[in-house]
Amino acid sequence: MGEKTTVSVLEGNNFVVSDLRGDIDASPTEPLGLFAWDTRFLSRWLLTVDGLRPNILSTDDLDYFYVQFFLVPGTGTIYVDADQSIIRKRAIGNGFHEDLTILNHKDQPVDLKVRIEAAADFADLFEVKDKLTKKGEFYHRIESDRLVLGYRRETFIRETLITASAEADIDEHGLSFAVHIEPHSQWTTSLDVVIRLGLLDENHQETKNGHGDQRARSNVKRSLEKLSEALPRLSCEWPSLQVTYSRSLVDLAALRFYPLTLSGQALPAAGLPWFMTIFGRDSMIASYQALPFTSELAEAALRALAQRQGTRIDDFRDEEPGKIMHEARFGEMTAFEERPHSPYYGAADVTPFFLILLDEFERWTGNAELVQQLEMEARAALTWIDTYGDRNGDGYVEYSRRNKETGLENQCWKDSWNSILFADGTLSRLPRATCEIQGYVYDAKMRCARLAREFWDDPELAKRLESQAAELKRRFNQDFWLEDREFFALAIDGDGRKVDSLTSNIGHLLWSGIVDEDKAEALVRHLMGPKLYSGWGIRTMAEGEGGYNPIGYHVGTVWPHDNSFIAMGLRRYGYREEAARVAMNMLEAAAYFKGRLPEAFAGYRRELTEFPVEYPTACSPQAWASGAPLLLLRAMLGLEPVGDHLVVDPALPRTLGRLELLDIPGRWGSIDAFGRGRVDTSTIGDRIQPGKGKDETR
Amino acid sequence: MSATTQAFFERLAERGYEPLLHGISGTIRCDIEDVGSWFVVVNNGSLSVSRDTVGADCVLVCSREDFDRLVVGKQNPTTLFMQGRMKITGNLALAQMFQRLFPDESLSRGKQG
Repeated sequence: MGEKTTVSVLEGNNFVVSDLRGDIDASPTEPLGLFAWDTRFLSRWLLTVDGLRPNILSTDDLDYFYVQFFLVPGTGTIYVDADQSIIRKRAIGNGFHEDLTILNHKDQPVDLKVRIEAAADFADLFEVKDKLTKKGEFYHRIESDRLVLGYRRETFIRETLITASAEADIDEHGLSFAVHIEPHSQWTTSLDVVIRLGLLDENHQETKNGHGDQRARSNVKRSLEKLSEALPRLSCEWPSLQVTYSRSLVDLAALRFYPLTLSGQALPAAGLPWFMTIFGRDSMIASYQALPFTSELAEAALRALAQRQGTRIDDFRDEEPGKIMHEARFGEMTAFEERPHSPYYGAADVTPFFLILLDEFERWTGNAELVQQLEMEARAALTWIDTYGDRNGDGYVEYSRRNKETGLENQCWKDSWNSILFADGTLSRLPRATCEIQGYVYDAKMRCARLAREFWDDPELAKRLESQAAELKRRFNQDFWLEDREFFALAIDGDGRKVDSLTSNIGHLLWSGIVDEDKAEALVRHLMGPKLYSGWGIRTMAEGEGGYNPIGYHVGTVWPHDNSFIAMGLRRYGYREEAARVAMNMLEAAAYFKGRLPEAFAGYRRELTEFPVEYPTACSPQAWASGAPLLLLRAMLGLEPVGDHLVVDPALPRTLGRLELLDIPGRWGSIDAFGRGRVDTSTIGDRIQPGKGKDETR
Repeated sequence: MSATTQAFFERLAERGYEPLLHGISGTIRCDIEDVGSWFVVVNNGSLSVSRDTVGADCVLVCSREDFDRLVVGKQNPTTLFMQGRMKITGNLALAQMFQRLFPDESLSRGKQG
């Protein structure tokens, strides 16, 4: 792992990425800057004192929304004892607020030329990522006490407003201060950088906090404190778990995104820095993972996605009536339809997942109101599954993009173009019906049958859904089963061929419950065997398959969120010890990342590298990776809502010792879960032998 | 007066209950430049349309050309807003639901791909 070179502060989709000095000096392709609404509002923010950039003493970024930089004036050469100190304190919030203080340690007064260079390229995040150029024009205005940096393309306007509390000379490239400081005294100024979209009747010419006032910080801090108070408390004899648990919760809190269409409710954005927005898949998966700990994220995700449910056929956006959206963006390229994310609907798994999450939310919270409010949306989602979702009428949901230019080829969670490969490494053809989507559909229909009976007063629908689900399960277990290899095909492709690679997708099938009991043993043997199991977790694709690459995005790497769902699947089919092993090994990996699991890491064998090797370009933190330890805790503790009760049925790794999770919130009020580690997780893979019955393995 | 705009609101008034707005209540005012204002009152999914001034929860402002394009499906409502060509004030959740009513299928027939 390389040395950290950047510092981030964030709140929702507003974030600042700077260097360790607090400076922003973005190249066109570097994700440094002040970002909001998928636009870079500052690409340059450089502090100089007497023309020199300061040297770093240290950086304190213990809070995700607030950072302090401790600096000394630059000497141009090596560090010498400085006569002045510089402190920059930065808080995020509708732009950011920065307090700049210079302390004079000398017995004589000092005169300094302090300057902040500022510039904004207003790059769309897609432009930063794909190295594109701008089509509109830049402008600037110097008003009485502020610098306005602007960008205009027709009626599309974005502005950055910069003000200082101390007297400044303002020019189009920044602010200059003539500073005089008495002996053993200090000078300070506040700097406010405010973003303006010009879309709403926004009157915030100021950040949430006035000069010198720390309101922006305390607002975020208060919301974090409020959330933290409501979360279950964990204690464990294995100290790393405590670290990982805290890290996961704080990261999920940091990734909270507040859609303008919800009053104050937040859902998880997908990841920093590229994915600070609503994603159907990521937002719902992270919310599902977090349900035993907080239900607020799931409620917000369900509401926001219901509001954006597809209502028309729109090829460019891959939109269809009843379909749940994939990704929403707010930048210039989306506004001018150079990208389809307004929102984009290219995902086939999220519509059934929406129904699964709706039911799971009710099971935990007992909140019938939401289930009733979203009845129409749920029915529209069920209709989508049977109509647009099943485009060739074969009873399975398959996908093929309508938008052939900028749409996604793969509309499952493994959404890179080359993820759905045959065992010989060749690419399957569209449309593709991937196996886990059929599992989700089965689960969604079973769950909606319950909702129809208990909340929608429609026993006919309930019966119909149950019979459809039973038929789907029967057919799936025939049509997708690879007799010779004893696992389910990854997909059935456009030519009707079974895509025969061994992949982690079979674990999702266990999670969904679509697998016949007599086939589960074989799947578990594969999941825990050396071809799929790296020692840290289950690979996306097994070693030995034609397309396997231990550093291929979806064809050999290990994904924490994937493993957390598989652990739940193992539990569902009674493989408690195997679930404990998957959980333990992933938590061991987390310890190498100070509790913050990356989106993905390499599929190398554990004995080869001895530590988990992070996948190079992944986001961090990533919501569903942050959520993975939470779902793994649920799997190990065997937490299942049953009626108005929470069943606790622990199967804990021996390494953990005693584990307590106190005040688990839900329809039961709050409940404590305790357990002691008894499972020896070092030997489990070895005990599953081909041909042995399930009972013999435990 | 735009015939398309006029027809859109007339047809909206004829719809009565609109399942796409199930559970939604509130009043949307559409200010269409050079044409005038329409008030769409949604009461748990039931629609009524009026030109008499009533209090609105949400106000949409755009040009006649843009509104016509919305009605016939030549313009997406979200990108119209994002480009700054439609101003929205008030309840954004209500605006988000209201945009489900575009385009009007009968007015846009033959104009969509």
